[in-house]
Amino acid sequence: MFNRDTWLEIAYTVLSHPLRTALTGVSIALGVFILVVMQGLGFGLQNGVKKQFADDAVNSIWVQAGRTQLAYKGNMANKSVKIRENDVEAMFEEMDTVYASSRRIRTWGVQMEYGDKAGSYPLRGVDPDHQMLENTKLTDGRYINQRDIVEETKVAVLGATIVEEVYQGKDPMGTHIMIGGVLFSVVGTFDDPASRWENKMAVVPYSTAKKLFRSGRDKVDQVILGTGDMEVVETVSLTDRLMVWLKERKSVHPEDARGIWMENNNEEYQKYQNIFLGIELFIWGLGLLTLLAGAMGVANILAIAVKERTKEIGVRKALGATGLSIVGLVVQESLSLMLVSGSLGLVVGVWLLEIVSPMIAHEYFQNPQVDFRIAMVALGVLTVVGVLSGVGPAIRAVSIKPVEALRDE
Amino acid sequence: MVAIMGSSGSGKSTLLNILGLLDGFDEGEYMLSGESMAGLNERSSARYRSKFLGFVFQSFNLINFKTAAENVALPLYYQGVSRKERNKRAIDFLKKVGLNDWSNHLPNQLSGGQKQRVAIARALVGKPKVILADEPTGALDSKTSYEVMGLLRELNKEGITMVVVTHENDIAEMCDRTINLHDGQIA
Repeated sequence: MFNRDTWLEIAYTVLSHPLRTALTGVSIALGVFILVVMQGLGFGLQNGVKKQFADDAVNSIWVQAGRTQLAYKGNMANKSVKIRENDVEAMFEEMDTVYASSRRIRTWGVQMEYGDKAGSYPLRGVDPDHQMLENTKLTDGRYINQRDIVEETKVAVLGATIVEEVYQGKDPMGTHIMIGGVLFSVVGTFDDPASRWENKMAVVPYSTAKKLFRSGRDKVDQVILGTGDMEVVETVSLTDRLMVWLKERKSVHPEDARGIWMENNNEEYQKYQNIFLGIELFIWGLGLLTLLAGAMGVANILAIAVKERTKEIGVRKALGATGLSIVGLVVQESLSLMLVSGSLGLVVGVWLLEIVSPMIAHEYFQNPQVDFRIAMVALGVLTVVGVLSGVGPAIRAVSIKPVEALRDE
Repeated sequence: MVAIMGSSGSGKSTLLNILGLLDGFDEGEYMLSGESMAGLNERSSARYRSKFLGFVFQSFNLINFKTAAENVALPLYYQGVSRKERNKRAIDFLKKVGLNDWSNHLPNQLSGGQKQRVAIARALVGKPKVILADEPTGALDSKTSYEVMGLLRELNKEGITMVVVTHENDIAEMCDRTINLHDGQIA
């Protein structure tokens, strides 16, 4: 079936009807082109938003306190709520399992000096799990560890911006940096490509930060809880439960929206994922419908072609062609038309995306590209559609009786 | 060399189609080269056609986007003969019908007589036992008709059975035997 002669025969019939071939080819190529371009753009959008999430671990809940809105249990409104270390410990007990957690002290505008260079940067006091929860990628050295917390060591992990601005290309590892008037030894550096903000930070042990920059005051600015491999629904109910529990513990009115603040990254991410699933389905649906329209065009044109070639097919039969060879001729004709023009649409679509993508770099839109699998699926769909659209006309071609075909008008 | 004559509607073409395995039959028996042709399926009738039979039609029925040589080679394609061999044999048979110089012409560049000769070469190329000709001269002037009949006669002398359907007496007279059909019966 796939020998050289068959292909020559197909090339012959296809090329001897240039207009018909061109019209069919263009409709298919256009279908694939639209599918590919839309896939690429959808992919770009998805990439952009995913990158926004890459800053923090997706499976985490962030807890923070603020000022109350409502008076409750004898407290006036606008009371400042403070989360204490014993609140954090009680919170761990309230949760069934704590997969990971970090307390966080945040201080803005801390003077940092090395040699004759200095600048003002934000500082964070954290626990070891903070690395995983904040998705921090170390470029050198190590992160804060448990010993640092226990011994209140003066070690710092520096963000890429500090390294660049204060060290000016020198290697900070093993040096001592003056942070808020205290010398810290640099044990690691990190670079978080998803967040320029994060790169301005210096990270030190929670206990050290508490002692040196908070004068030992017991106030946790933020608590990050890892949720491990918990299901999204579980994390949602956990967040709700913790919220009620913590408000009660801190005497915050249950309806108060500002006293205690929690954000479940699982849920946020899930929301975006659902939106993407919707967009993806929409794009696929649209692309496949376009292809279907093209395929109908091919089936239609083939049907006309078969009608036009009734006599020719009759002659072929009289000369010894079997039904199968006629089906093969029509189906392979449709298939080769589909694949050649489909590949053309694919190539042009990919090419367009390559040209356009550098021009539309945006925070929420990055690297629009065609997944190799999508290209394969598109070609697969084309193949199936090509065969199917050829089958109807082919059956009609086979049912042509040479006697009738050859009767003179 | 047999002529089949009869007025229109007498069943000439039906008989020819049955002989050519293009149409089935309900009664009687048809022996071709010692084998019964009753109740053949599409596939085996296609095989017998390409093995034993050659067709010549009134309106030539050449495929008009193929050259003379390609038209002649077509039956060999369906017999699975290699391309090189096909082309060689197509040229041989075009030579035989005197159209050596026209092998690369398309049918619409040929005269009626030339087209019919291409059709005859195409019928011959599969080395058939029988050539079935349905009004082979119906679309030709009398001079060309005689040339074509002369060619068929020569081929008959080489041992190929000719069945010619015609309604022209002078054409029938050029055959060895004439069968007259009347309302589907041999008269």
